[in-house]
Formats: sequence, structure tokens, C-alpha cells
Amino acid sequence: MKSYKELPDDAGSNIVGQVTAQAKRVNQRLSSVKHTIAVMSGKGGVGKSAVTSNVATALALQGFSVGVVDADINGPTIAKMMGVRKSKLEYTSAGVKPAITSLGIKVISMDLLLSEDDAPVLWNAHSQKDAFTWRSTMEVGALREFIGDTEWEELDYLLLDLPPGSERLANVVELIPSLSGVVVVTIPSDVSQLIVKKSVTMARDVLNVPIIGVVENMSYYVCHHCGESEPLFSNDDAVESAFQFTLLGKIPFDPKLSQCNDSGVPYIQQHPNNQASEAIVATVENIKKYFNALS
Amino acid sequence: MKFLCIECETAMKFKDVTRPEQGSVTAVFECPDCFTEIAMFLNPSETQMLKSLDLKLGGTNETAQPMQMVRSQLQTGKEDSVPNITSQIEGSETAEGGKCPFTSVISEAYEEESEPETDGLSWTQDALERLERIPSFVRPMAKMGIESYAKDNGHTEINAEVMDQARGNFPAQF
Repeated sequence: MKSYKELPDDAGSNIVGQVTAQAKRVNQRLSSVKHTIAVMSGKGGVGKSAVTSNVATALALQGFSVGVVDADINGPTIAKMMGVRKSKLEYTSAGVKPAITSLGIKVISMDLLLSEDDAPVLWNAHSQKDAFTWRSTMEVGALREFIGDTEWEELDYLLLDLPPGSERLANVVELIPSLSGVVVVTIPSDVSQLIVKKSVTMARDVLNVPIIGVVENMSYYVCHHCGESEPLFSNDDAVESAFQFTLLGKIPFDPKLSQCNDSGVPYIQQHPNNQASEAIVATVENIKKYFNALS
Repeated sequence: MKFLCIECETAMKFKDVTRPEQGSVTAVFECPDCFTEIAMFLNPSETQMLKSLDLKLGGTNETAQPMQMVRSQLQTGKEDSVPNITSQIEGSETAEGGKCPFTSVISEAYEEESEPETDGLSWTQDALERLERIPSFVRPMAKMGIESYAKDNGHTEINAEVMDQARGNFPAQF
């Protein structure tokens, strides 16, 4: 009896051809993007999205063309933080026109497709009972469409704001073999680093993705009365000792950052002269330095 | 996935699909030499997996619409984001140049499933009104949960009392 490989095709479905066409669509779309960067962390709550939105804004303020993909399908926050939640996506034969911030940053997020504020991401299905068997595939499919179907046009930087954990990075690497690198966000606590280290190992050793560097968020607190810096966590030297990568920046905690996230105007745009903004700019300079060294 | 006619040692070809039943889709394949047919049944999870990959059994020559999968499959999505998939399905063709019925049947399957089968259960007017008060994005799940509870407990009519009893059977409050 003939084996699988001896049969000429898959009965006419051409599944390989369909998957290849999907990958080609993503590659074509990204061919006009110079640098694609994934912003990741193993742990939730370390400020990935705040770092992403502010780094994107800092780059845009310097005149670069920037796009942001909110890769957190179930917990999208980028549209809110960047003030484009009310934007209406426009669908054309060429793709989807993304939301655009006041600085011209192009944004795509699941938040822009959901019907109501309190609507979770629910997929059509006969039953949600066995959704664990296909939900993550749906999410990867959504991410593929976000990246491949959005009209990014010419971009200097495309930032992908990943959800916590390393699983989504693996998906991104599958979708974007040309991923330029990863920016790792952490906070100076042992708990955060315990988790973030696992993601770094996954990125570096398993997925072979270049690590651009580490951002230490909530690095310290600046007293608004006396201007003195105080550590927020017990182990304020932890990041430098724990990671063997470039420390891109140490961003201090500032309550205004959270207020800016809520208001939809990125912190660096609203408070360009504050210490945290200076740290974000330093982070951006180090990212640029990384790419300059490569070229 | 490939299918072999053991008798003829010939690769079978995709032929047709039957109407879906409770999320399950049946695809028919035929031997081009002896015309023997076989049926492949996809269970609801397999059907869903195929949809999540945005792949078409039987093939397609159509270019996908922008964000086609997300827009057509997101139950909680904005109404104005739903793509015009129908025209695409009507125009889709198999690799051999014939119409591809699979895509339309899959699509129909999901359209049907937006209103779950009632299996002989009837709803009283007040129960329907309470159902309407459940947020739209969880209503289909809630309805299925209530109907499942009613069937399991031998009810043929869903009224306010049955809804109260079923309250713990699904996540939505009403």
C-alpha cells in the first residue's frame, strides 16, 4: 500500500499552499518595516505596555515612523494608553487602515474590534466547552492577521507588545522569522526576575532571537517633595547582576505615568522633562545604538 | 491529510460536504478510478480548529479579505467589522476549478450555531424577555447552558422558574 509521501496531494485542499500564502502575506506586509521589535516579559504587571507606548512615542517624537501591534489579544491596553480607543478601523481591499495617534503612530489592537467596553474576546463556536483545544490557535490567527493585514506602509520601527509569558514570543517568531529582536521588561524584584529569566532563556536559547536589552521599570521612586530617589524594591541592583544583557534603561516609578495611561496621552508626550521621560529617551537611544552597531 | 483508495492504490479527491450537524462537518472524498466514496467526519473541535487556522478543505483560489478570520469569528466584535464573506464563498473555487462547497457549509454551520438547537424545548415569553436582558456577547452561551440544564432535568418548557434553577449552570447573571 502506498505511503503518505507517495500520494501526490492532499485531495485538492492544498493546505500547505494555503499556509504558505498566509506566511507570504505577512512577509510582504513587513517588507517595508525596517525594525520589528517584540517587547516581552515573563511576568505580568511589570509595565510592558506602558514601556511600549512610551518608547513608541519617544521614537515618533524624534521623527521616526512607528507602528504598534497590541499582541495581548485577551488583555489589550495599547489603544487605551495611546488614546485611540474610539478610532474606527477602515477595511479596504489592500488591508486594514490602523488607528493613528496624534503623533502619527499606527496602532492595531483587539480593543479596536470589540463591541463593548466589558466585552471579552469570545469566538464563534458550537460550544465553548472544549475551547482550550482551539482558542490559542484562534489567537495566533488573530495576531497573524493584525501583523499581515494592517496597512503599515513604510515604518522605521514596529513594536509588538506581548502578553506575559514566553508562549506568545514563540508564536511571533513563527510568524515573523525576520524579527529584529526582543526588549525585555522587568522590575527589580527577585520574583519578577525568576520568571523573566525563563522567558529570556526561551528567547535566546530555544528561539534564537536576539535580545536587544533589558528595561528595568519601576526602578526607583522620586519623592515629589524633596526630589530624592528611593528604591521601590529591596533588590535594586538585581537586574544588572541577573541579566547578561545591555541595560537599556532604568525607568523610575511616577504616579503620573499611570494617570497618563488612563488619559490616553503617553507620559513622555505629556511630561517630556520628567526623570522617567529622560529614562525612556535613554532607553530609545540604546535601542537605536543597538541597530546602528549592526548596520 | 490524504486519502488512499486501497483497492486502486489511487489518491482520493475531495468531492462534497454534507450539511453540518451540531458543529460537526462531513467531507466526502471519492476515488477517481473506481468512484468509491468515503466520508470524513470532523468533530466540533476539529471543525473549530480548521476555522481558527483559516484553512479551507477543498482549497480556494480567493484572496483572503483583510482580517477575515478575526472579523468573521469574533463573537463579541463590532457589527461594522463583519466582512462580506458571502460573496467570497460564492466565488471560491477548488483547485480543480469547481465550486468549493466546504467553505460555505462551514460558514453555515457557524451561522446556525449562533442560534443553538432547541431540541423540542419551548421558551415562555417572560423567559425570553429575561434572556434578552443578558449581555449579547454571553447570551448564546447562557441560552445553551439553560437549555442543557432543562434537558438534563426533564423540562420541556423553559420558564422563569427553570431559569432560576439553571442560574448556576452558566456564567451570566440575569
